Amino acid sequence: MNASKFLVIAAVMSMPAATFAAGADGHGHGMASGEPGKASQASRTINVEMYDNYYEPEMIDVEPGETVRFVVENKGNLVHEFNIGTPGMHDAHQKEMKMMVEHGVIQGGQIHHDMMDMDMGNGHSMKHDDPNSVLLEPGESQEVVWTFSDKGNVEFACNVPGHYQAGMYGEINFK
Amino acid sequence: MKVRLLTGLLSLLMPALVLAGEYNLTVDRVEIDTGDFVKEGIGYNGKSPGPVLRFKEGEDVRINVTNNLDEATSIHWHGLILPFEQDGVPGISFPGIQPGETFTYEFPITQAGTYWFHSHSGFQEPDGAFGAIVIEPEGREPFRYDREYVIQLTDKHPHSGDRIMRNLKMMPDYYNRQQQTVGEFFSDASSNGLMDTIKDRMAWGDMRMMKADVEDVQGFTGMINGKGPAQNWTGLFEPGERVRLRFINSSAMTYFDVRIPGLDMTVIQADGNNVQPVNVDEFRIGVAETYDVIVHPRDEQAYTIFAESMGRSGFARATLAPEEGMEAPIPPMRDPARLTMADMAGMPGMDHGDMDHGDMAASEDMDHSSMENMDDSKMKDMDHGSMDGMDHSKMGGDDGQPSDPFYAKGSGIMPVAANDGKFLSYADLKAQKPLYEEREPTREIELRLTGNMERYTWSINGVKYEDADPIRLQYGERVRFKFVNETMMTHPMHLHGMWSILDVGAGKWNPIKHTVSVQPGTTVYMETEVDAPGQWAFHCHLSYHAAAGMFRKVIVEGGPDSTQAKTDVAIEEGGDA
Repeated sequence: MNASKFLVIAAVMSMPAATFAAGADGHGHGMASGEPGKASQASRTINVEMYDNYYEPEMIDVEPGETVRFVVENKGNLVHEFNIGTPGMHDAHQKEMKMMVEHGVIQGGQIHHDMMDMDMGNGHSMKHDDPNSVLLEPGESQEVVWTFSDKGNVEFACNVPGHYQAGMYGEINFK
Repeated sequence: MKVRLLTGLLSLLMPALVLAGEYNLTVDRVEIDTGDFVKEGIGYNGKSPGPVLRFKEGEDVRINVTNNLDEATSIHWHGLILPFEQDGVPGISFPGIQPGETFTYEFPITQAGTYWFHSHSGFQEPDGAFGAIVIEPEGREPFRYDREYVIQLTDKHPHSGDRIMRNLKMMPDYYNRQQQTVGEFFSDASSNGLMDTIKDRMAWGDMRMMKADVEDVQGFTGMINGKGPAQNWTGLFEPGERVRLRFINSSAMTYFDVRIPGLDMTVIQADGNNVQPVNVDEFRIGVAETYDVIVHPRDEQAYTIFAESMGRSGFARATLAPEEGMEAPIPPMRDPARLTMADMAGMPGMDHGDMDHGDMAASEDMDHSSMENMDDSKMKDMDHGSMDGMDHSKMGGDDGQPSDPFYAKGSGIMPVAANDGKFLSYADLKAQKPLYEEREPTREIELRLTGNMERYTWSINGVKYEDADPIRLQYGERVRFKFVNETMMTHPMHLHGMWSILDVGAGKWNPIKHTVSVQPGTTVYMETEVDAPGQWAFHCHLSYHAAAGMFRKVIVEGGPDSTQAKTDVAIEEGGDA
């Protein structure tokens, strides 16, 4: 890593919104998409499979205020994310994920968890541990329990650079 | 144009539906109107470019090609994997299609993606004989988009291909309009000092070359889907839709730098093969390459698709708009690129003493013994750098400028995005789903890309096609090709029939392509799984370089017995490539 690279990091780190969380908070939107739920309150379980680079299913119907338990499995060969948020939140999180890729935290099919703990200065790290998302290596499976708010523009998306733009997103339709 | 025949009875008995498509193409004299001039050319089904052929993976196609010209013709299916007798290169795959004759191509479609087709006879391709191929995959596309367009680029010249070749042979700088002027001499002299400027000009004079030799055929009109800049081909969209654009560079000689001001582009496919998506602001498309991108225009406005030639001697322009007739501003072309001494670093026999001056990247680069080191260090960089997941094209060079490992350090033609954003590099291309297992190559073949600009001869290892022995490969081996570009021009090298696994330092994720650009002063490696018996063409895809001799026949020895016999027949019938 040369000097100019370091300057870029320093510049990004000094920006007020540069949290390395999954974009659900810290951007002044509050929880426009909802809030973490308890599995015991979940009305149902929805299985979401992640492939290179798309979801199955690509559209999910929910009731306003409903708590859903998502069981997310990465069936592809690349690292993928399942993240519930508004398009604006995804856009902000993509900038963070881009940095994670540029620093080698995510490489093709691997997540280097040790690098996530690296101190980036100002008390920041590249941890990816927000409750509205999971980041999975191929073969991994994890749960997200989410209580949706009232109607809003909410998508589930993979914010690994390029994946969202290529079409790795799905719509949440409020009934 | 096409009749789909479902083999009905069989499909009732077989689990998989067998599709067979029949297509008809005529090869015709056509009129081409660029908006700047009208000329006679060659097209398919009465037009240039010809139709977009839409195939489906798993389909067996029959394509009847009727030659309405008074000369022989051929069609090569660029990038398609097929039996070699169907590959359409006269003298290598088949004898060609005589005037008045109808030839029927028959082959299975075993892949998906964006490709193209063109004549492989004489200069029919620069004269307009090309079209697009879009193959729908068997399963779903691993993308989401609402609509798609083919964006087929070309560099239409007012002169016929034959005339251009004659002029180049007579006077290699015939079409080089950007030669440096006296005024430029004095402005260089004031900024670089008079002695350095004189030395620089003398050094270039000794090499019988000009800094402006980025493009050796200028004076063309850039076209998109058969429309010149003023005719403005327009693709419609509804705001909020995602649009897939299938870029194909069908130019005879011209590389284009492509951008759409106001829109990010996500590259999802290169040369028909899906790549891990890359967000870019701009990309360079080599001759014969294809890139698919997805854009997401959200606003009710027009966007200009702007494609400047690499040497900035011309541009193509089209529009994406919610309604026909809407336009966005056309950006001015940027200053022409000038080759630097770094782009010459691969040239042998240079007088090093005269070349030690200010604007060289590093004078030791010119020393041949350290050139080895230059390559080594580049490869080392690529292996380790990319393994670390670093984004090379964003990495600063020593001076903080962006650098691209596929250009010589200090190169004058290394691309930079117009908005200082992300410019796609080969180093960004990683296979979405690797086709081949990674394994050690069985051997390495060095191919030096060579030429003599003064006589307009282009060659490989100093030998032009007519004088060269074929390259013999063994069926089942994996060959590593080492391209060493000893010229000052970029060469898009195209191997027919088998994939080119481009070494970007990503190991098993290295992308597969059909055309690999080799920049001046660089060494590029690619590997090929020799899995297609028969004989194939392997050449620079710049039309006049291929014709001048930068071309080889590749013979794949071994494989199933039946193909060996067919090869012998094709050789006997012969013809010119």
